[in-house]
Amino acid sequence: MRHRSLFIVTTAVTVGALTLSACGSRDDSSEGGGGGKTTVVIGLDAPLTGDLSALGQGIKNSADLAVKTANKNNEVEGVTFKLESLDDVAQAATGQQNATKLVGNQDVMGVVGPLNSDVGQAMQKVFANDNLVQVSPANTNPEMTQGKDWQTGKKVRGFDTYFRTATTDAIQGPYAAQFMFNEKKLKNVYVIDDKKTYGAGLAATFSTEFKKLGGKVVGTDHINPDDKDFSSVASKVAQTKADFVYYGGEYPAGAPLASQIKNAGAKIPTVGGDALFSAEYIKLGKKNSEGDFASSVGAPLETLDTAKKFIADYSAGGYDGAFEAYGGYSYDSTWAIIQAVKAVVEKNDGKLPSDVKDARKQITEAMQDVKFDGVTGTVGFDEYGDTINKQLSLYEVKGGKHVPVKTGVFEG
Amino acid sequence: MSGIGPVEPGEDTYQHPAAPAAGATPSRVRHVVPARHRRKAVLAAVATLATGVGVYAVNAPEPPPAPPPPWPSQVVGFAYAGASPDDGHAGAFTFGVSISTEPGRRVTVDAITQPSAALAVSTEPSAPFTVPAGKSRDVTVTVYVLDCGEVPRNSGLPFLEVTLRNERAVQKQSRILGGGYPEDLGAAIGRACADPAP
Repeated sequence: MRHRSLFIVTTAVTVGALTLSACGSRDDSSEGGGGGKTTVVIGLDAPLTGDLSALGQGIKNSADLAVKTANKNNEVEGVTFKLESLDDVAQAATGQQNATKLVGNQDVMGVVGPLNSDVGQAMQKVFANDNLVQVSPANTNPEMTQGKDWQTGKKVRGFDTYFRTATTDAIQGPYAAQFMFNEKKLKNVYVIDDKKTYGAGLAATFSTEFKKLGGKVVGTDHINPDDKDFSSVASKVAQTKADFVYYGGEYPAGAPLASQIKNAGAKIPTVGGDALFSAEYIKLGKKNSEGDFASSVGAPLETLDTAKKFIADYSAGGYDGAFEAYGGYSYDSTWAIIQAVKAVVEKNDGKLPSDVKDARKQITEAMQDVKFDGVTGTVGFDEYGDTINKQLSLYEVKGGKHVPVKTGVFEG
Repeated sequence: MSGIGPVEPGEDTYQHPAAPAAGATPSRVRHVVPARHRRKAVLAAVATLATGVGVYAVNAPEPPPAPPPPWPSQVVGFAYAGASPDDGHAGAFTFGVSISTEPGRRVTVDAITQPSAALAVSTEPSAPFTVPAGKSRDVTVTVYVLDCGEVPRNSGLPFLEVTLRNERAVQKQSRILGGGYPEDLGAAIGRACADPAP
């Protein structure tokens, strides 16, 4: 009898312990399975192949993480999100075709992307015609939100459907100019660009400010970004008294250009914008990339507490490749669309409007009021669709890494 | 028979009282448990509870540590408050800056400077000063032109360099003021250098 009682006690204790233990480590990993749920497709456009694919894949993976997180957390009751990613190979025409394709898919309620400003410009009107909201994590050309006369102070928003989480070249170029002139005390620059919307625009904003400060542009040149041999331009730079080179363009051409300039005898730094802020730049330029500078949108992620979970989740997600310069912005762009969908669902008694055009229109309108603490800081949009989070940073290549050397906040 | 209902009684080891006489008022049956069994049952319950709590205490996830306070730059804002009507200083430009903090986040401003070697800056109050949590503080900034030959006349993006401190970190950061600051500064420098102080 005594043994039986002890057995009962032991069993009861064991069962209780297991039950309590199980509660403490319960893994609720149910993914949105769809049962009776509405599927909302978030489109994504980025260069997923080609020279800029490192940045594009970082954008895609980070958007994927946001979608999975939303489904796992049941962020929007009754809605399962799905990501549809299209490759624009960094070509405006392909981006425009992708935009048409996404508009034609009745389940698409918002689009993340693209990377390149010229691609974005080709997509804007297609989305605007159908009221489909677009949030770019990486377009930095000021014209896209503020119109072509933005420099004269006449800012006009062209597309109510266009938003972005990245800040613009209107700040990025001049900030680099201030840094090189005032802090590095370098007064003579050779300016090169790749003739693209982003590169030429960025080089222009840099040059304008550098000259205003009293700096001298000792030479200018344009390159073809598809080339790999820049020896003639490099020789021209080496023959001037340039203290540094400013390059408006992307890393696939920027890295070999900067390297060949050093090989030509000009041991001077190359400075550029966010499209040089990639581990690929260092990989391509190798030791010659040491001492080069890149500005980038946003504060260094390691100084943002909101980024820590994203970094950990991205790592746990097992994605191929790093999240790169725009991963955090892509996550925030995707999350902004999710929040806009949520606002519309809540406003319409738990469902999206059945009429696709009406649903898209309401989601676009809701985007203007979206505000949340995202990976990159506070996410929200001003009257032009620009981010209200206007931080930027300058990085120097030191020891094979981009190391932050200066950060700033635009308070205007 | 419904599948849902009270658990049916089974055999037990208790002595049951005699059934009530027919016609008597039904009353709730009170089972009398022998003291020896009661003690065992109580002991078993206490042991179960104590062990369960112990096991839970061992296995329960530790409460997450309190998050560190945000970096100072993330909780402070600077807003250009306009040029002072009469700065009283020849060759200088005086203007106001409103510095605000988020609720619960106090920030100390250790320094305010600017990057050009041709300009110098002083503030009132002089740094360091603290902006209380959730409040704003008006600061008067005076920019002095040191070298008209070197000063940038119409910079499109002039900024202040600020050093911010809280319990988390000390951060040096550029604050690029909008709201007409570049235009006002450019005009003031133009005046100062067109008619330099004797």
